[in-house]
Amino acid sequence: MSSAPTLSSLARIGFANLSDSRESLMREGFDAEMFAVAASPDRALRWLVRLRDSAPEVMARVLADETWRERLVRVVGISDGIGEFFARRPHDVECLRDAILEPPSAAHYIDDLVGIAAASADPDRDIRAGYRRHLARLIEWDTCTDTPTSRVAPVAAALADLAGAALDAAVVVARSRATYPPNEVAATRLAIIGMGKAGARELNYISDVDVIFVGAGDEAILEPHRALEIATHLAQSATRVLSDSSFEPPLWEIDANLRPEGQKGALVRTVESHVAYYERWAQNWEFQALLKARPLAGDRELGEQYHTAVSPFVWSGSSRAGFVESVQQMRERVTAHIPAAEVDVQIKLGPGGLRDVEFTVQLLQMVHGKDDDSVRVLDTLSAIDRLAAAGYIGRTEASTFSESYRYLRVLEHRVQLAALRRTHLMPRDPEALRVLARASKRGESGESLMAEWNGVKSTVRSLHERLFYRPLLATVAALGDDTLALTTEQAEARLAASGFRDPAGALRHIAALTAGVARRATIQRNLLPVLLHWMTEGTDPDAGLAAFRSISDSLGDTPWYLRMLRDSAGAAQRLSRVVTMSRFVSLLMERVPESVAWLDDDSLLVPKSPAVVDDEILAIIARHENATDAAKALRGIRRRELLRVALASTLDLISIEELGEALTSITIATLRGALALARRDIAGIEFAVIGMGRFGGSELGFSSDTDVMWVFRDVGLGDDAHRAAERIVRLIGEYTEDLRFPLDIDANLRPEGKNGPIVRSLDAYAAYYERWSDTWETQALVRSRPVAGDESLQHDFEAMATGLRYSQPLSAAGLREIRRIKARVETERLPHGEDANRNLKLGRGSLSDVEWLVQVIQLQHGTDVPELRTTSTLRALRAATEAHLISTSDAQALTDAWILASRVRSAITLWSAKSTDTISANPRELEGIARMLAYPPGQGRRFEDDYLRITRRARQVFERLFYPVD
Amino acid sequence: MDKQQEFVLRTIEERGVKFVRLWFTDVSGTLKNVALAPAEVEGAFAEGLGVDGSSVEGLTRVYEADVLLHPDPTTFQVLPWRGSVDPTARMFCDITTPDGQPASADPRHVLRRVLAKAADMGFTFYTHPEIEFYLFQTNNVDDLVPVDNAGYFDNVPGGTAHDFRRNAVRHLEDLGISVEFSHHEAGPGQNEIDLRYADALTTADNIQTFRTVIKEVAIEQGVYATFMPKPLQQHPGSGMHTHMSLFEGDSNAFFDPSAPYNLSKTARQFMAGILTHAHEITAVTNQFVNSYKRLWGGAEAPSYVTWGHNNTSALLRVPMYKPGKEQSVRIEYRGIDSAANPYLAYALLLAAGLKGIEEGYELPPEAEGDIASMSSLERRAAGYRPLPESLNRALGAMEESELVAETLGEKVFNYVLRNKRREWAAYRSQVTQWELESNLRQL
Repeated sequence: MSSAPTLSSLARIGFANLSDSRESLMREGFDAEMFAVAASPDRALRWLVRLRDSAPEVMARVLADETWRERLVRVVGISDGIGEFFARRPHDVECLRDAILEPPSAAHYIDDLVGIAAASADPDRDIRAGYRRHLARLIEWDTCTDTPTSRVAPVAAALADLAGAALDAAVVVARSRATYPPNEVAATRLAIIGMGKAGARELNYISDVDVIFVGAGDEAILEPHRALEIATHLAQSATRVLSDSSFEPPLWEIDANLRPEGQKGALVRTVESHVAYYERWAQNWEFQALLKARPLAGDRELGEQYHTAVSPFVWSGSSRAGFVESVQQMRERVTAHIPAAEVDVQIKLGPGGLRDVEFTVQLLQMVHGKDDDSVRVLDTLSAIDRLAAAGYIGRTEASTFSESYRYLRVLEHRVQLAALRRTHLMPRDPEALRVLARASKRGESGESLMAEWNGVKSTVRSLHERLFYRPLLATVAALGDDTLALTTEQAEARLAASGFRDPAGALRHIAALTAGVARRATIQRNLLPVLLHWMTEGTDPDAGLAAFRSISDSLGDTPWYLRMLRDSAGAAQRLSRVVTMSRFVSLLMERVPESVAWLDDDSLLVPKSPAVVDDEILAIIARHENATDAAKALRGIRRRELLRVALASTLDLISIEELGEALTSITIATLRGALALARRDIAGIEFAVIGMGRFGGSELGFSSDTDVMWVFRDVGLGDDAHRAAERIVRLIGEYTEDLRFPLDIDANLRPEGKNGPIVRSLDAYAAYYERWSDTWETQALVRSRPVAGDESLQHDFEAMATGLRYSQPLSAAGLREIRRIKARVETERLPHGEDANRNLKLGRGSLSDVEWLVQVIQLQHGTDVPELRTTSTLRALRAATEAHLISTSDAQALTDAWILASRVRSAITLWSAKSTDTISANPRELEGIARMLAYPPGQGRRFEDDYLRITRRARQVFERLFYPVD
Repeated sequence: MDKQQEFVLRTIEERGVKFVRLWFTDVSGTLKNVALAPAEVEGAFAEGLGVDGSSVEGLTRVYEADVLLHPDPTTFQVLPWRGSVDPTARMFCDITTPDGQPASADPRHVLRRVLAKAADMGFTFYTHPEIEFYLFQTNNVDDLVPVDNAGYFDNVPGGTAHDFRRNAVRHLEDLGISVEFSHHEAGPGQNEIDLRYADALTTADNIQTFRTVIKEVAIEQGVYATFMPKPLQQHPGSGMHTHMSLFEGDSNAFFDPSAPYNLSKTARQFMAGILTHAHEITAVTNQFVNSYKRLWGGAEAPSYVTWGHNNTSALLRVPMYKPGKEQSVRIEYRGIDSAANPYLAYALLLAAGLKGIEEGYELPPEAEGDIASMSSLERRAAGYRPLPESLNRALGAMEESELVAETLGEKVFNYVLRNKRREWAAYRSQVTQWELESNLRQL
C-alpha cells in the first residue's frame, strides 16, 4: 500500500485525469509509478481495474509478477481494443506472461493457428482469439522500444504473416465444413494470393486484407468447373470464418476486389484464366497492383505457379500504351478523394502522406525495374534500399525517405491501435494527441507532435521532386554536390514516364537552364525539379519547358524574377501551369516577360477596370507627339491586358461572362485610344464607333472578330466630311494593327454589307434604314451599342437604333425572312466537308442557333417587354424566361450550350494559340481543351461527348422554337 | 509477346497459313476485313495495325483518319471453307485511336460499355438468337427463285439442301459455334438457325461469324444466302428473335418461383424498360427501309408494343416455363431482324431493360389473343402502341431519345441518324413497280 501520490507527481507520470485517477489508485491500492510505461496511464489504470474486478485470481498472478504486469500495462495502455479482448477473455492475459524477443516466424504462426483450427470445437472463435493473443504479444514487442521506427518493418511483416496464418487456419476449417464429397474436397486446390500491403508484407495493424483466390483441381478426379465450384465455396466459407459477426468479433475485411473484373468477376479463377485475363483485358493499374502480389495462404505450390505466371506482366508495364496516363491517374488517387474535413489530419492520403511515398517508389520501380531485376521487390522499404543501391536515387534522399516513411507508419499504427479500428487520421482531441505522442515515443506534447509531423510531410512532399527529377539535372549539369547522375537513357526514360514526348529535347532545355555559374542558373538548379514536376501535371510539358526557357532567358538576372522564383512557390507553380496549359499565354508572356510578376499577386490577375486602362491610354497619347510611337505603346497595352485576361482565364479565376466583359472593355479602350490618335488633326466632324455582334453584346472571346459600324456627322467640314471620316477609319485600322494578336476589325454588318460604303453619316444611316433596310440589317441592330467617339453622336445613333429595333414587333414577313436566311446560312456557311456537330459558331445547337433564336424573341417581344432590350444574349434569355416567353428548361438547354460553346472557343485559342471554330478530333487537342475547361486529366473523350450532348439538346429546342411545324 | 500471341504465330507456321484476315464491324453492322501476310502478324500484335478509318463507315471522319486494329489472339481460327490450298485464318479486332483509347465508334465497344454498366449493377446479360435467312438460286434480283419450293427442307431429296446444311454445321462447329438447324415452315427457301445462348458480346461476335459462314457455304454450293429482312413480298420476313436473360452470378435474376409466370420483379421491370423504349430503339434493331416491310407485313411479325405469355403475336414473348428449368426463364424480343448490327441492337435492348430496373418501371398488363386480328380501335382501347411504321418514323423517335444517345455515344448516335436519313431520302425518291402498275394505265 502506498501513500496518496500528489497530483503533480501523477501529472509527471503521464496521467491526464488527475483527481479521478488518484482516487482510483488509492481505492485499488495500485502504485502510480507502474503506469508510467503506458502511453495512456489513465487508460491502463481503467483496464487493470476492470480486469481485476472480473477475474481476480488471474490478475493477482499478473500483479505479482512485475514484468508481466508491466507488459499488460503497456499493451492495454496503448490499446482499448486489446483491453476489450482481455475483458472478454480474461484468461488470455496469460499470453503476456512471457515476452517475445522478436516476432515469430510465419511458420510458427501457421502451426499455432492451424493447430487450433484442427482441434477446436468452435474454430471461428478460437482462431480469432488465437490471432488476438499473437497480436497482443506483437504490440507488446512493438511498444517496448524507445525507437519504434526501427521496428516498423518487422512488425508490418509479422502482421502480414499472422494474417496469412489466420487465412490458412480458416481454409482448414472451410475444408472440414464443406458439404461436398470428401474426396472431391481433397482434390480441390485453393491458393490465396496476398495483394497490396498483405502481399508486400507491410500490413497495418488494422486494414482490409487484399487477396486474390486461385483454384485448381486434380483432373483425374474432378472436372475443372467442379473444382472451381468447390474452390469458390471454400473461399467463401473461409472468409466467413474470419469475418462473420460473432461474440468474438471478426478480424478484418477480406477484400478480393483486386481480382480480374473486380466485384463482378468470378471469385476464384484458375492460373490460366488469370493469365488470359491479364493478356486480354486488364487495365494498367491492375498490372501495377500485381507488383505487390505474393502467395499468402492456402496451397503454396499453386500460389507460386500463379506468381510465376503473372509476374512478367508487371514489368512490361512502363512500355505499355497509356502508361503515362495511368501514372497520372495513380497520382490523382494520391491527392483526390480526401474529404475536406480530413485534409489536415490525413496520415495516409494527401500531399506528404504515406501514399505519396508509395507512389514515388512504385513509379521508380516501374520505370527502372523493366531493365533492372534488382529493384523488383515487394515492400516499400526494401524498394527504397534497392533503388539507392542500384543508383537510381541518392543515398541521402533514400535514407530521409525511408525514415519519413517509417515515421508516418508509426503514427498510423498508433492511431489504429487505440481502438483497433481502421483509421488513418490524426486525432483532433488534444488529450488523444498527447497520448499519441507518448505512444510514438515522440515526447509528451501533442502540439509538438503535430509540428514535427507537418515537417515530415513537407519533407516527403518535396522528396518526390528531388528523387525523381533532381538526378535528371545531374545528368546534364554539374550540380556541385553528391547528387547521383543518371545515364542519358535512364533520364530519358524518367522524362518519358512523366509525360514528356520529346525527352531528348527536354534534357537539352534542362541543360541550358542549369548551365553556368550565374545566379539564375543556381536558382534554377534548385527549382527545376519541382518545376518539372508541376509541368508534368499540365497538358503539354514539352511546350511548357520550352516557353519557360524562353521567358527565363529574356528576364535574365532580373532581381525580382530571381527573388520570385526563389521565394514564391505559388508563383512558380502558376508559371509552370500556365506555360504547359496554354500556348496563347506562352506566346504573350515571351513578349511581355514582366507579366511573370503578376503571378505572385492575385490582385494583378483581375482584369483592370476600364477606367484605369482608359486613363493610361489617354496619358500615353498625351505623352507621345509621334502618332506611330503612341500607337505602338497602345498596342503594347492591349497585349499586356490581353495577357492578364488570358492568365486569369487559364487559371480559372474568371467566368466566361467576366471574360467577355473584360475583353470587350480592352477592345473599347484600344479603339478609343486609336480614335483619339486618328482625330488629332481632323476637326469639323463628329465620329463614333458602334459595337456590333458579340462585341456589342460584351461577349468577346479570344478569337472573336471585332464587329463594328462607323458613323460620322458633319459639324462644319461640309463636303470633305465623308473623306475625313474614311481617313479616320483607315487610321484606326493602321494604329491597331497587330499581326500576331489581331483585333480583326470587321464592318461587314453595316447596311449592304461588303458592298455598302465603309462609313456613313448618321443621316445616311437613318435614310437607308427608313427606305431600304433588309430584315437582317435590323436584326444586326439588336446587338448594336455605341462604344467610342463623340457622346452626342453616340446618343443619337442609339436613339435611331432603338426606334428601328423595337418600335414595332417583328412582322410575319420579317420572321419568315429571318428563318429563311438562317436556314440558308446553315447550309452554305459551314466550311466544306466539315462536321456540323463540331462547329462552335455555325454548328448544330451552337452559338448562332442560340443567338438567332434569342434575337427573334427580342424582335418579336422587345416592344412590350423592355427588359428584352439588351445586347447581351444571356441577359435577353433571362428576361425572356422571366416574361414566360420561353420555358425554364428550354432556356436552360440554350444557356448551357451557349456558355459551353463560348468557353470552348476561348479554350481552343488559349490552348493552341490558333483561332478555329471547329473542335478537333485529335485526342491530344481534346485533352488540351478539356483541361482548360477544368476537366480532370484523361477526360478529353468525356468532354467531347458532353459537348455533343449539350448542343444536341439545344438544337432540339432551337428547331422546335425557331422553325415551328405549325 | 504473350503466350496466346505466340500460339497464333506458331499455328500460322505449322499450318502453312497464307493469309490472316483481321475482322471488325462498322457502325452499319457490316463485317470488314483486312488481309495480312503472315509476316505482318507479329507487328500487328505489337503495335496494332493502322488503317485509314475514313474508309470505314461511321468509324472516324476524314480528318481523324487513323485508327489501330488490335487483333485478339483468342479469336484466332483457321477458316474452314478456304480449304487446304491457301489456308486462311481470321481474328476479331478491337479498334483504338492512336493514343490507345477504345474508338468510340467501335460497335463492340458500345456493347462493352453497356455490359460494364450491367456488371456494375451485378448483372451478366445472356442472349440466344434465332436467325432466319433465305436461300435463293442466284442473287439476280429480277428472278429470285428460292432453293426449294417444296416446304420442308427434309422433303427435298439430295442436292443443294442437304449439302448446304451439312457443310454449314460443320464449318460453324470448326469455328467453335454450336448451332441448332431447323427449316422454317413458313417460307420457301427460308431457314432458321439457333445459336447457343452465351453472353451478349460473344453472341454478337458469333452472329457476325455466322453470317459470313452462311454466305460462304452458299457460294460453295452455288446458291445465294441473304439476311435481308423481307426479300419476298408474299412470304414472311427474316427475323432474329432474341431470347434474353440477366444473371446475378450463377442465379437467374429473371426467375422467381412465387411470381406469375415465374417472372421476378427484375424481369418485369426489364420488360417494362424494353416496352417503354421500344419505339426509340427500333431504328437500330430494324435499321433498313426494308425492315419495316417485315414489321408491317403480317404473318407473325410483331407490330405492336405488347408482351404476352407464349403469345406469338406479341413483341415481347415470355416462353413457357418448364418446371425445374429455372435457369432458362427468359424473355424473347421478336422485333429485331436478321440485318441488325448485333452489337448496337443488343446494347440498346440491354440499356432499355436496365433503365426499367433503375427507374422501377411498371409492366403494363399482358396482351391476350391475336393482336394483329384486333381492330385498330380495339388496340387503342387496350393501349397497344404500334412500332414505327417506317424507317423515317423510327428515326424521328430515336432522335428524341436520350437513352439511345447515351447508350450509343453521341458520335455513333449522330452517324446512325445521318446515314439512315440518307437511306430514307434515297428510298423516298423511288418510283416503284407497284406505283407504275397501279397508276400508269389508270391515270
